[in-house]
Amino acid sequence: MNFQEILKYFVYAGMIFTVLAGIAAYLTLMERKVLAWIQQRMGPKYVGFKGILQPLADGIKLVIKEDLLPSWSDRTVYWIAPIAVLVPALLMWVAIPITDGIVLDDSDLGLFYITAISVLTVMGLVMAGWGSANKWAVMGGLRAAGQLVSYEIPFIMSILAIAMLAQSLNLTEIVNQQTTFAFILKQPLAFVIFFIAGLAELGRIPFDIHHAESEVVGGPFVEYSGAHWAVFYLAEYMNTFTVAVLTTILFLGGWVWPQMPFEGSLHDFLSILLFMFKTVAVIYLIFWIRGTYPRLRIDQLMAFGWKLLVPLSFLNVVITSIVLFYGFSHFVLSAVSIFLTGVLFYMISNRSKKYDSGETVRIVSSSQVRDNQNFKEPL
Amino acid sequence: MNSFITTDELLLIAPEISMVILATLVIILDLVIKNKSILNFVASFGLLVPIALSFNLLDGTSQFAFAGALRVDYFGVFFKIITLFATLITILISEKYSKKFDDYQGEYYALILISASGMMLLASSVEFITIYIALELSALPLAALITFIRIRSSAESGIKFMVLSALSSAILLYGMVLVYGFTGTTYIEDLSQIINRSLINSELTFGGGALLLGVILITCGFAFKISSAPFHMWAPDVYEGAPTPITAFLSVASKAAGFAVILRIVYSSFSNEQIGMDWSVLIATLSAISMTLGNLIAIQQTNIKRLFAYSTIAQAGYIMVGLAALSSLDGGQDNAGPAGILFYLFGYLLTNFAAFTVITLVSINTNSDSISSYSGLLKRSRLLTLIMTISMISLIGLPPSVGFMAKIYIFGSAMDTGLQWLAIFGVLNSVVSAFYYLKIVKIMLIDENENSEKIQLTTNMSLAGLSCVFGIVILGIFPGSIIEVAHRAVESII
Amino acid sequence: MISQGIASSLTVEISFWVISISTILSAIAVVQIKDLFRASLFLILTFLGVAGLFILLGAEFLAGIQLMIYVGAISVLIIFAILMTREIEISNQSHYMRILVSMVALGFMLLAISLITSTDWNLIDSRSFPQNQTDEIIATVQNSIPTLSKMLLTEYVLAFEMVGVLLLAAVLGALALVREKK
Repeated sequence: MNFQEILKYFVYAGMIFTVLAGIAAYLTLMERKVLAWIQQRMGPKYVGFKGILQPLADGIKLVIKEDLLPSWSDRTVYWIAPIAVLVPALLMWVAIPITDGIVLDDSDLGLFYITAISVLTVMGLVMAGWGSANKWAVMGGLRAAGQLVSYEIPFIMSILAIAMLAQSLNLTEIVNQQTTFAFILKQPLAFVIFFIAGLAELGRIPFDIHHAESEVVGGPFVEYSGAHWAVFYLAEYMNTFTVAVLTTILFLGGWVWPQMPFEGSLHDFLSILLFMFKTVAVIYLIFWIRGTYPRLRIDQLMAFGWKLLVPLSFLNVVITSIVLFYGFSHFVLSAVSIFLTGVLFYMISNRSKKYDSGETVRIVSSSQVRDNQNFKEPL
Repeated sequence: MNSFITTDELLLIAPEISMVILATLVIILDLVIKNKSILNFVASFGLLVPIALSFNLLDGTSQFAFAGALRVDYFGVFFKIITLFATLITILISEKYSKKFDDYQGEYYALILISASGMMLLASSVEFITIYIALELSALPLAALITFIRIRSSAESGIKFMVLSALSSAILLYGMVLVYGFTGTTYIEDLSQIINRSLINSELTFGGGALLLGVILITCGFAFKISSAPFHMWAPDVYEGAPTPITAFLSVASKAAGFAVILRIVYSSFSNEQIGMDWSVLIATLSAISMTLGNLIAIQQTNIKRLFAYSTIAQAGYIMVGLAALSSLDGGQDNAGPAGILFYLFGYLLTNFAAFTVITLVSINTNSDSISSYSGLLKRSRLLTLIMTISMISLIGLPPSVGFMAKIYIFGSAMDTGLQWLAIFGVLNSVVSAFYYLKIVKIMLIDENENSEKIQLTTNMSLAGLSCVFGIVILGIFPGSIIEVAHRAVESII
Repeated sequence: MISQGIASSLTVEISFWVISISTILSAIAVVQIKDLFRASLFLILTFLGVAGLFILLGAEFLAGIQLMIYVGAISVLIIFAILMTREIEISNQSHYMRILVSMVALGFMLLAISLITSTDWNLIDSRSFPQNQTDEIIATVQNSIPTLSKMLLTEYVLAFEMVGVLLLAAVLGALALVREKK
């Protein structure tokens, strides 16, 4: 490996960082606009044309803001935490292709590599929580640890079903397998599980219990300000973009579905455009959910993950392997998967009905508690 | 290479499969049935299936399964049957004890069954990866079982067992890695061939030492399992805190499985010709230390479970005499040593379980494990006193009991192979051990106790105790058949 | 022999030394640092270093598993437990036998190093494998995942299934141990 080659990698790294940071910045604008539409407001509109320069203004404001350090904090941990969150977010992009051939390392292990890297984020959150020396932050860090570890299982299991279907872990290969049918048509259940678990991994509403403002006042980020706070949010939006891209690659057929009629560079350009269009659609869906759903409670979140998503994702893998082993038509897979998706949604709605019935919160007087020794806390 | 599972292979591990199925059945029944006492019945009667399947495999042939990872032979099946009997008696004597666990009896029985299935696999695996996983399969459920009562001492025991078994696994794995790195194979039968072939042409003794280190580390790892001398520290604390039936299970089944692997490895891979040194000195020394240490410390104990822990260390020392006789350079022709180990283990199974039947019942009745709670046992239950006395006689090694025959046999093999000093040492130790074993008998028969309430035996308990006592006496008078079986078993792994 | 199959260059050499020294140093830090939380962070660094060594050895799959299981799950659980204890900053106290223990550990390390370096590791290699088989082994090492998955379901299927039962036992044990006290 000579000097030029090493330099090349540095240039690539710089490019990835710059592009992703730009995307992340404009995702914040998009999110604010989408939320504003949902809530019938205008959103940012003064900086630049219709607020187009708002992210820039935000960035400048954050960078020149004072960086506060809580006096009791564990300094080293406190300063390393933002980096520990940002680095995995960038590392994932080593293996993610934008279109056929445009990828840093077209590895046969791509998907596996991404799942392995994605689990590293949680460490940064826990470090931030501990380093801040703040009880809300520690609680937030603990919540993050519990939540991310729990939702990793359905996340990986749904990916596994796709890998079995594609018989490959190479992302380009997986996309190229979807020329006739995108995998969302064959595996709607895996899509739903992946998407929900992905939201939970991101910690976005309705799964944002680890930095829920009304409960743990911002969780691990409560003490951070200025540029360091910005790094966390940069990482979060980068991860949002990554999950959207992965959803597109794994389930929506990436750049090949539906097929492009043209040849040459026009074909490539249109492919990237198609890819970006799908990604933005997924991101829009994520923001839409953020605008319309209430936050889950921590016990609901855990119950939902372990009692619903984990068993269903295992079931999905089993069904996929049966279909593949006995060589059944993939329509069987679709039919079963659609049925199970229906079951999932039925159970979600049933559960929320149960929680709506007033069972969760019961107002009792202190004398009632005193008189009734067997009084049980409502779940 | 590309062998998929065939029906024949499944038949060869049918006992283990049926154990796991039984365990899942118990869990499922636990889920749907309110009356938990049925679980004991299901678990104990269900065990008859794997026992029958094991006897079915006892046809003298040796077959390989799963690409050579398992070798189902007379030897392995013998140990499987020992483990199964130990499990059966453990479950029988748990009948009353497991009432403590109310809703969690299903898990209790299932964990015992899974651990036993691990031990059974351990007895017939001949490949390092399989051996290691079987070892973990037997140890991990035990860690949970030891902590099952959820009192402070029980939790302490569980943590100790967990940490130390992890440590010993790490040592074992490091040894296995070195051996694998040197030979390039994990199959213990290929090991001996490769070592032989390579060492003939080598000037370096023992290939330069990594192999030696590997073998020593493997031995250390298994020495933990059988609680032999330098690795015995865990035994007393763990035995004391564990639920009493689990203590019995640990002291017999776990030890038997450990000896099975050691015998197999020593026999097929690291025998004297390959290693070019005299193992017997090392093993004999460890054996002597084990029995002396165990017996001397046992004298001072006031807690019956701790006493049995030290007693079990001493017994491990006696059994290792057979191992020393096997690896001694000038002997081992008629396999008296290893056959003695098998016979001794069978006798130890009966003896120890007879004692633990009594210990379990007394501990349920008096809520205490101290030796003084045995005073006046004669007035409270004659049957229990009889069982305990005979078991003590057998543990000392007095006629007419299986312990006597086993000691005669195993010390005899030491005499034959030029280890006279070890045999004399063993006999002296037996005399020392008589002191504390007979002390228990004296307390039961002579000492007075104001509590003279009768102890009620259940059918299961008396069945377990009486069949053990019957076995002790019968084998003490007519040991021939089991010795013959032990010889056949040992011949099957040569 | 097999090591010839893996590209060796100055970069690999430098990465090896950097990774192994930092792994060892962070392993020492785990036992020496008083702050439990920081000790656990160094434990993670150790795990990452081991993953790096796996990559250098051409075992990318193991490296990924190392990340996923050790960094992603086990260390998070460890930290989870640590954050629930008291006096985290001074809890990792050294034992009164620490000098003795470190001497024993050092002695064992020196013994192991001397024995391993004095061993003629090619003793078996050169005699047991014919040339065509060596090529096959190199190909296997370079493309390890398909081989690994095939072996898990053919040669080592028994061990694989036993791990399944082991996990069942672990779940049962964990359930039984966290039951409510009556």
